Amino acid sequence: MTEMESRETGIDALLRRTMAAQIPHLPAGFDERVVRNVGRKPGRGWRPLDRSSRLLLAGYGFVSMVTSAIVMRSQGLGWLAISCTTLTPLVLAVTRPLWRAARTQGPHAAS
Amino acid sequence: MESDSELVARMQSGDQEAFTELVCRHSARVFRLAVSVLGKEFVPEAEDVAQEVFLKAHHAIASYRGQGEFSSWIYRIAFNHAVNVKSRVRFRRPHADETLLHGIATPRPGPERQAETAQRDRALAECIQTLPEVYQSALRLYYWLGAPVGETAELLGVPENTVKSYLRRARQLLEGMLRERGYSCD
Repeated sequence: MTEMESRETGIDALLRRTMAAQIPHLPAGFDERVVRNVGRKPGRGWRPLDRSSRLLLAGYGFVSMVTSAIVMRSQGLGWLAISCTTLTPLVLAVTRPLWRAARTQGPHAAS
Repeated sequence: MESDSELVARMQSGDQEAFTELVCRHSARVFRLAVSVLGKEFVPEAEDVAQEVFLKAHHAIASYRGQGEFSSWIYRIAFNHAVNVKSRVRFRRPHADETLLHGIATPRPGPERQAETAQRDRALAECIQTLPEVYQSALRLYYWLGAPVGETAELLGVPENTVKSYLRRARQLLEGMLRERGYSCD
């Protein structure tokens, strides 16, 4: 046996010994729980925001909208252009979740 | 027995029983793969990963076009998701000390020798953590979970020869790292 082979055997035996431990298994009823939860959770890791996060986000949105409007007005832009640029993201933010919700009501939606 | 692709087709047309059947078929293996990535300290997290993988698969099934096996698709989701979760939980205190778990199989000679062995085992566990994710997963599947090379290859989505070379390379790297730290593998 070459030195390299003997080293390989040594580390192999060590790994077998040190990594031996109880093998975990899924608890009984796991499959049923998954099937049950499919109907509850929206996809892509989406979680509804709590009240304070919603307030913080709304405040940030409002302040940035007003600031943007002031800055754009000082640059001489008309109110129509200002309304379009500030309100478009807002419209998208509101309609996207609605569109998503409508899409998940399709044939693949969980019962 | 219906094939996975038949069940997927039924699921795509809104049949929930087909999804239940797919979960029953693949949950144990998805869990084994998740636990092989996360390690023995994070078994509850692996269970969460297994659940989230099926939820993701359920939501993404409409975009699954049947290119390749369903099992390969779901194992890939599981591996990637487990790696993401691992990067979040690795700095958290583990549920069980790995050395304690190792202790189950460690023989008990004199206290000095025992301390030395425990130190080397700890060093080995640390070295394993530094290996690339796919090597770690292959090692845990093969040495801890007792998965044969064929199953390891299937779960990792690579040919059997690639798994053999992952294991060989991992052993060589570990042996070198232990030697650098002053431990022998005997």
